[in-house]
Amino acid sequence: MIHRFLDTVWGQANALFLPFKRRRWVDLLVLVAGAAILYGLVMMGRQWTGVHRPLVEIDLSPWALPKYTFFSMMRGLVAYVISLGFTLVYAFWAAKDRRAEKLLIPLLDILQSIPVLGFMPGLVLALVAIFPHSNLGLELAAVLMIFTGQAWNMTFSLYHSLKSVPLDMQESATVYGFNWWQRFKWVELPFGTTGLVWNSMMSMAGGWFFLMITEAFKLGDKDFRLPGLGSYMSVAVEQGNVPAMAYAILAMVAMIVFLDQVLWRPVVVWAQRFRVEETAQGEAPRSWLLKLFRRSRLIRWLEARRVHRKTTVHPQPPKPGGGPAASLRLRGGRWLANAGLLALLALAAWSAVSLVAFLRPIPGARWWDLAKAGGLTLSRVLISTLLGTLWAVPAGLAIGLSPRLSKVLQPVVQVAASFPAPMLFPVVIGILATFGVGLNYGCIVLMLLGTQWYILFNVIAGAMAIPGDLREAATSFRLSRWHRMKALYLPSIFPYLVTGWVTAAGGAWNASIVAEYAEYKGHTLTTWGLGSTVSAAAYHRDLPLLAAGVILMSSLVVTFNRLVWKPCYQLAATRYSLTK
Amino acid sequence: MVSEAPICELKGVQKFFDRGGGNLLRVLEDINLDIRPNEVLCLIGPSGCGKSTILRIFAGLIEASKGEVRYHGNRLEGLNPGVSIVFQGFALYPWMTVEENVRTVLRAKGLAEDEVRSRADRAITLVGLEGFEEAYPRELSGGMKQRVGMARALSVDPEILFMDEPFSQVDALTAEGLRAEILDIWVDAERNPSSILMVSHDIKEVAYMADRIVVLSANPGRVRTIVENPLPRPRDTRSAEFLRLVDQLHDIITSAELPDVEITAPEPSLLSDMAEPLPSAQSGDILGLLEFLETQGGTCDLFQVVSHTHVPFELVLASVKSAEMLEFVDTPKRSVIFTALGQRFVRAGMEERKQIWKEQLLKLKLFRVVTDLLDMHEGQLSREELISELHHRLPMEDPERTFETLVAWGRFGELFAYREERGVLTPE
Repeated sequence: MIHRFLDTVWGQANALFLPFKRRRWVDLLVLVAGAAILYGLVMMGRQWTGVHRPLVEIDLSPWALPKYTFFSMMRGLVAYVISLGFTLVYAFWAAKDRRAEKLLIPLLDILQSIPVLGFMPGLVLALVAIFPHSNLGLELAAVLMIFTGQAWNMTFSLYHSLKSVPLDMQESATVYGFNWWQRFKWVELPFGTTGLVWNSMMSMAGGWFFLMITEAFKLGDKDFRLPGLGSYMSVAVEQGNVPAMAYAILAMVAMIVFLDQVLWRPVVVWAQRFRVEETAQGEAPRSWLLKLFRRSRLIRWLEARRVHRKTTVHPQPPKPGGGPAASLRLRGGRWLANAGLLALLALAAWSAVSLVAFLRPIPGARWWDLAKAGGLTLSRVLISTLLGTLWAVPAGLAIGLSPRLSKVLQPVVQVAASFPAPMLFPVVIGILATFGVGLNYGCIVLMLLGTQWYILFNVIAGAMAIPGDLREAATSFRLSRWHRMKALYLPSIFPYLVTGWVTAAGGAWNASIVAEYAEYKGHTLTTWGLGSTVSAAAYHRDLPLLAAGVILMSSLVVTFNRLVWKPCYQLAATRYSLTK
Repeated sequence: MVSEAPICELKGVQKFFDRGGGNLLRVLEDINLDIRPNEVLCLIGPSGCGKSTILRIFAGLIEASKGEVRYHGNRLEGLNPGVSIVFQGFALYPWMTVEENVRTVLRAKGLAEDEVRSRADRAITLVGLEGFEEAYPRELSGGMKQRVGMARALSVDPEILFMDEPFSQVDALTAEGLRAEILDIWVDAERNPSSILMVSHDIKEVAYMADRIVVLSANPGRVRTIVENPLPRPRDTRSAEFLRLVDQLHDIITSAELPDVEITAPEPSLLSDMAEPLPSAQSGDILGLLEFLETQGGTCDLFQVVSHTHVPFELVLASVKSAEMLEFVDTPKRSVIFTALGQRFVRAGMEERKQIWKEQLLKLKLFRVVTDLLDMHEGQLSREELISELHHRLPMEDPERTFETLVAWGRFGELFAYREERGVLTPE
């Protein structure tokens, strides 16, 4: 059927298309996908540049959902592209410039610890003020919010990779006269690719959390909602439309699965070639889509063209190493880096000074209140992490130690971890209310909703990495279940557990901002804590208080990281490391 | 041949590494060496003699702290343009196929694409890798990987081919073949590679490959002697001349490491501060050596130990040196003979062994220093403190390596305990 269609459209005699004759449906698929993406982009362009309306109109019919899902997905992807660009520049700069490194890396560490949701009101207001007549400001705000949820760990990953390129690879690059660009594209970037791909997946998953919140953002009586899944869900909740809520959740799951299959799977499989460790692994990941694409004649033809074009480029004349031109360029780069560093320092100094001036009106007693609220929220964060650990460790061990279970359940956990918990908040609050649980304890459950998956995910990975001989030894010595737990399982998953804790606690802090101050059926439920203080300050546009709250929260997170998580990491890397 | 002007020279080269906090580790002292046209020059010596450092200074990867490097008579600044390197760990890019690995270095030279392809093909054919062009390095055995390394190095048409222990991660049989092949390539080459510089720790390999053999001694690295190898090629490794050369090289290396007579007695004034450097052998290695000696009737030729146990020469040497320090063996000439104490030690049970070991350790200055320091610090001696003390007492040694050996010996003798996480030594 399709074959005949193609033949009539393209004609039998057209020799140019002969290569396409076999497996034409694959090529057709590629073409259709291309057209669909193009159409979506045009639609999105219209939405972005469209006139800003005071009230967002959301169509709750399920037929409108593909459009909203596409909008949400594109916001996530655009943010990812920005994150990737940021990562490449920032990580490279930090890894190559000794002086900049001293500033850039601690800065990144702080940025990573800041609960970015605290900045959302300020960011939205500022960008809407810059673009008062179009949607561009709001769209940019959404994209930037997702970016802040994505970029930091990608940057850290690439930075660490760039710093740990094996010495002999570096030396051979030097001996064979690679210039900085060749070194980057042939050696350093490939070396960092594996880590970057995994962190990209994690980042993308984390980004949805922020997307759902920004899309459904209202500030006081002002509606800053954007057409997308988040706003669809919030309108459905407002109207109590249960089927629409279910549709939205289904659409979100479908989007996550779609991206996993269409984007991440192929990328992971493609990234296999950048593995550095020499040993063959048990089961190589596979992707049906990549296999399909590799079969596509169209894509092969495009690739051949690209190679062809490359070969006809005029060869550069061989240049002597360290010639005057090269050193001039080097000096130019140096100059640029210094200017950038200076600008960054100036910006940091300026914001510190203006912040101090900004915070002056807050009285001392208010700070004390804030600190108490911070203590309360900290305890909620810790309780939610503890609860998550209590169930996720046994469950994760059970899944990870059984190849059958892990094969089935790991993808499910992956989807669950990517699912933005705020979408479920209204549903859970409703359930809690029927049991008479208020938000004071209820918000711990809300925090748990998003963060437990990180712990579970990491425990599964840890359990799967326990060496077979250690497990066999435990079996042969007839260790009881409890002894096995104490002597083998807990120590060997500890490094993974720490990673899970850090991610979960960070997520819980962010969640506290929306969990302690939740919208439900048109009215706000709130409980005292630092998260709700920040939210309330944003609602009442009390900007000094908002800033104070965010700063306090950030410093709590940073201090906690330094005092608790860092020693844990240290312990994990020395005593509980299985590689040394 | 010898009268021709050298391609590369080191003149009075010294090298220090900054170990932080102004602590300088002297690695090379006053090295004078040249690489002449049409020769295979090999560097051999115990670990810590800086042979790889010399290679890297020749290549321009590391700068000399003092002295100068000359290339065709001119002072060398930066990379040496006539050199390519075959690395010990292959240094292949795992994300590129065999072909891409070779082509990449040619592209970096800015050659036209068709030139890149033809030269890569030629190099791949030269080392016998046809058919493997599309393979990724992880699919290849160690020997095949090193072939890729060789193809990559030869593809850029280097004047001198540098090889840094190229066959130490390749199995013995394959290494044999590769050595012969690289020599064939070198002999057949019309112009380049004109010369080969190879770093090795295998005496037979050196005797087989080299025209001139540079024997280095360690701590700091110095040229002990340069041995000319006049044997005609191809060399028969079973011929009497060849075996004599191997023996001669053995003797030179051992006499540097295990002198029969003290060459220089240190000044008495210095004596109080100086300590004996520890050879880096674990207690298990020393025990193994003694057990082996017992099976040989208490006496054995040093090189028989190497050939019987298949333990690398360097490690055997370090173990013998350690056993000698602990007064378990004597080493007249090249033989290793039990002392009465060594005999008693090896026949004793574990309890008594540990007792003897402990007593012997306490005869060594270094361990007395450690126990004194432990007393001084009320039974809590931090790693950092001990390392800085070691640096002070043994300025020529790598203090971290000495520390590791010290901890291993001390733990076996139950002289002190050490907890790695806390980095603190405590008395047992």
